[in-house]
Amino acid sequence: MIALTNVSKTVTSGSQPLTILHPLTVTIPAGTFIAVVGPSGSGKSTLLGLIAGLDAPTSGSVAIDGTDITKLDEDGLAKLRGEKIGFVFQFFHLIPSLTALENVSVPLEIAGAADATDRARGLLQEVGLTGRAHHYPSQLSGGEQQRVALARALANNPPILLADEPTGNLDSANGRHIMDLLQNIHSARRTTLALVTHDRELAALADARLVLRDGHVVEHVGVDVVASRSVAGSGGQAVAGAS
Amino acid sequence: MFVIRMAVRETRASWRRLLFFFICIAVGVAAIVTLRSVIQSVREVFGQEARNLVAADVLISTTRNWTPEARATIERRLAAANADARTDTVETPTMVRPQDTAKTKTRMAELRAIGPEFPLYGTMTLEDGQTYRHEMLKDRGALVRPELLTALDVKVGDAIVIGQLPFTIRGVIANEPGRRVGDFSLGPRIMIDIADVETTGLLAAGSRVRRVLLVRVPEREVRPLVRQLRDDFKNQFVNARSFRSDDDEIGRDFDRAENYLSLVGLVIVILGGIAVSSVTRVFVLQKIRPIAVLKCVGARSGQIIAVYLLQVLTLGLAGSLLGLLLARGAVASIPYFVPPIDTSSAGTLLSEVNYGVTWSAAAQGLGIGALVSLLFSIVPLLQVRFIKPSLLLRDETSTAGFDWTRAVAVTLVGAALVALTAWQAASWTVGLAVCAGFAGLAVILVFVGRLLVSVVAPLSNARSFPLRHAVLHLSRPGNQTRVILLAVGLGAFFIVGVRSLQGSLLEELSMQMSEDSPDMFLMDIQREQADGVRAFLADPARGAGPAKLIPVLRARVTGVEGRETQLESFEDVRARGSLAREYTVTYRDQLEANETVVEGRFWSGPATEPEISVEQDLAERFNLNVGDLVRFDLLGRTIIARITSLREVDWRDSRAGGFMFVFRPGVLDQLPQWYIAPLKGPPDVQARARFQHDLVARFGNVSVIDFRDILLTIRDAMSKVTLAISVVGALVLFSGGLILIGAVAMTKFQRVYEAAVFKTLGASTGTIARMLLFEYGVLGALAGLVGSLGAVALTWGVSRFALDIPWRVFAGEHLAGVALTAILVAAIGVLSSYDVLRHKPLMTLRAE
Repeated sequence: MIALTNVSKTVTSGSQPLTILHPLTVTIPAGTFIAVVGPSGSGKSTLLGLIAGLDAPTSGSVAIDGTDITKLDEDGLAKLRGEKIGFVFQFFHLIPSLTALENVSVPLEIAGAADATDRARGLLQEVGLTGRAHHYPSQLSGGEQQRVALARALANNPPILLADEPTGNLDSANGRHIMDLLQNIHSARRTTLALVTHDRELAALADARLVLRDGHVVEHVGVDVVASRSVAGSGGQAVAGAS
Repeated sequence: MFVIRMAVRETRASWRRLLFFFICIAVGVAAIVTLRSVIQSVREVFGQEARNLVAADVLISTTRNWTPEARATIERRLAAANADARTDTVETPTMVRPQDTAKTKTRMAELRAIGPEFPLYGTMTLEDGQTYRHEMLKDRGALVRPELLTALDVKVGDAIVIGQLPFTIRGVIANEPGRRVGDFSLGPRIMIDIADVETTGLLAAGSRVRRVLLVRVPEREVRPLVRQLRDDFKNQFVNARSFRSDDDEIGRDFDRAENYLSLVGLVIVILGGIAVSSVTRVFVLQKIRPIAVLKCVGARSGQIIAVYLLQVLTLGLAGSLLGLLLARGAVASIPYFVPPIDTSSAGTLLSEVNYGVTWSAAAQGLGIGALVSLLFSIVPLLQVRFIKPSLLLRDETSTAGFDWTRAVAVTLVGAALVALTAWQAASWTVGLAVCAGFAGLAVILVFVGRLLVSVVAPLSNARSFPLRHAVLHLSRPGNQTRVILLAVGLGAFFIVGVRSLQGSLLEELSMQMSEDSPDMFLMDIQREQADGVRAFLADPARGAGPAKLIPVLRARVTGVEGRETQLESFEDVRARGSLAREYTVTYRDQLEANETVVEGRFWSGPATEPEISVEQDLAERFNLNVGDLVRFDLLGRTIIARITSLREVDWRDSRAGGFMFVFRPGVLDQLPQWYIAPLKGPPDVQARARFQHDLVARFGNVSVIDFRDILLTIRDAMSKVTLAISVVGALVLFSGGLILIGAVAMTKFQRVYEAAVFKTLGASTGTIARMLLFEYGVLGALAGLVGSLGAVALTWGVSRFALDIPWRVFAGEHLAGVALTAILVAAIGVLSSYDVLRHKPLMTLRAE
């Protein structure tokens, strides 16, 4: 279970403070497929980053399976991510100096798995890239790179999978392929899947939906949300605080 | 496991880009290993041969005639020490010439007269397969070094005149035991029979004769015997030493040479280290995203730092191994450069050395290479801690406050470097001094570099597009300007600095040689020869300038009674260091042109009361004042003289009167003495040779020192030293070039991208090439300027404080230094950017 309590994020842009995410309280039950939707700059990726512990909130707390991750130091966060969270980026973020197989092996090796390479090979098979194991990222197409990234995210069999616009940089066929994979994984492994997208069609595939605009929740479906200047309620239309 | 695997993968991916930096380490390690190995190999041979070099267990020597009492004491001691062999030798410098008067050549040589038992250890080897037997010297036979044959244009079988007598050359000496390495030599060696030496007329008073008794005693008696003899003769001109003291001294010389030379290597390694540091910084910058990804998938900062440290260590070791290979090659090639026949016996010995890389040198080289790589990469790698995985979501730069860990790391690394340097130099003082000097020089170079960069900054408004961008690039993010200025500047500094100094010194020396100042020096003129020599010199046909014969005596200070200094006995004097040495003194009635009285009054006319005038610096050093009494031992006679004046002597023009003690006439006049004469020799080379030849033919024991020859020798020696230092400078410059190539390689991706954008915007390949040319040209010119300015400061400092000569600026050297550095850097920069020019823009932009 993911529980965000009064989480907000403010950054300094130039000399002005800029609130990217206004205080938000939301609970995502384990095994939920939730889509976070909104236009560019609405705070979607920030929310995902806060859940992954990639970023620290300005206020509030983030609990993963009951552990308040805002109390963890960098190394503690790294360990948590290694064990519980898989992350897929829009721009893949594979390590260019490593082959596909090695990219997938890395989280397993960090976790100290003895059979890292074999398991990585299995994961590549799962995403349909057996023949590309020894290729470098620069030798793979965008869709293939994203599949490697997906295999990497699944390496330690994490209970939570976070995907930040995983299809945003792909053509529609490849995008479709990735989405199929994500859905299969979610249903087969009962993984909590949080998908950031600005594609309402993709969002419609999810069990729950959270719509953000300018850092505010403007709509939520299937999850309990307490957000500043928003009206709570399942299936309700949140009152937009801005614009 | 993760760390090791990642390190292997990272090394596989990035070794090409890091290659040049580790070549820097390799060059430095190669320098250290080569220098240490060579010296250790040479030392081993010399160490084994110490006894052979000395040719005896104990040497007892004197610069006087043996007195019967001294010999009696020695005999008693030798009997007590069970000495089982001994032999007398006599050594003196002398002039030799061919007996054939058609050959107008003369040469100063070092004569050694030996007995049949010589040598007690080791063997004398002769050229052409001849075996040495003492019989070869019988009936005025001589063995000579090969240089003498050339110098006098004679061959084996010919006769040469030593003193007044002809000797027949019976063989050529290849290797002679009993000659110290590095001994100052006035000329090539000649060996004759000791039975003949008395008849040559060379042993008159004043001649620089050294009589040596070589002794063989059982091993355990060596030290006690030397100690007893020193005790017996502590107040006399008799000296005793063992082959061990030679061994020790040689050992110390070698230690010193080894350690100092290793420092040279270390400087290069440290320069490589600076490059490593700079590359690691850029490397981390380029690895920000992959590092963030690693953190995102669960890697801790410590693990990531460990990955890169392991990588650096691997490459550092690889660089060091390459260095070992280079050293092996260099060491193996040495025998080809050591001539089989050298001018000294040391040269012969050098050719017998078995050159190879020694284990200890190799281990040290490997250790230093790896250590320096690690030390210099730790601090930039700490930056890994600040890379936030969130930057994968959003571009952001985190600014950390004061970083204590980094400060501690910098301090520890600094301390480790000092320790490393101290270890290599085998001295904490030297280690600290070198590190402080290096740090100071680096700070100055960086500061001057920054100043120069800001001086050329206005050029960023230049009309020329390439020039404008070239200047902008000097201060672009991730630029290597500082490192290149430091490395290339340092190299230029070494080379230009030492060349200017050489020029300065040579010019100074030739100035002294000029015009009317004496350029020839006659020595050992006996009293009864004085009139003859005067007449000879006054003969206008000889072509020599006016000469004056200066009477000289040898004196030793044995006591001082003064206001501030009380030295009751010779022991006290000896305890005061160099005051106890033997002085050449004179007496005269007037001051020389290069002297001024600074205290007291110079006498006029003779007196029976002994009075002396003391050179100012010596007086200051030993607290001698006007009115003090100095006790002298003059050939066994004690004379107590009162100091009545202190003189300042201009040593730069000292040939007319470089005396520490000048006596008032009247006291020394009747004591045994001899003459020296500085004079202006005939200007023409032929006339000079004829002059020396005729003089020596008439006055066999008179020695001639020709300053022109000495100047040539000095010039030769100096050009060798300059060459050696230039090689070091070239190595440093070479490392600078490698760093430059590496820096270009490191930033190439950025360059290729920029070039692609420029090309898209309409810049031609030619424009981009010019841009690069200007950028590296300006960088090179700045580096050259930094080095040249440093060299100007160096020559000023050394001229002013160390050499005490007027400061000269060789504008040509400096300008050439700047120009050549600029051309070199521009050429390397543009050539290693070939890829940047060649890439098609679309390909590059698509890849981004």
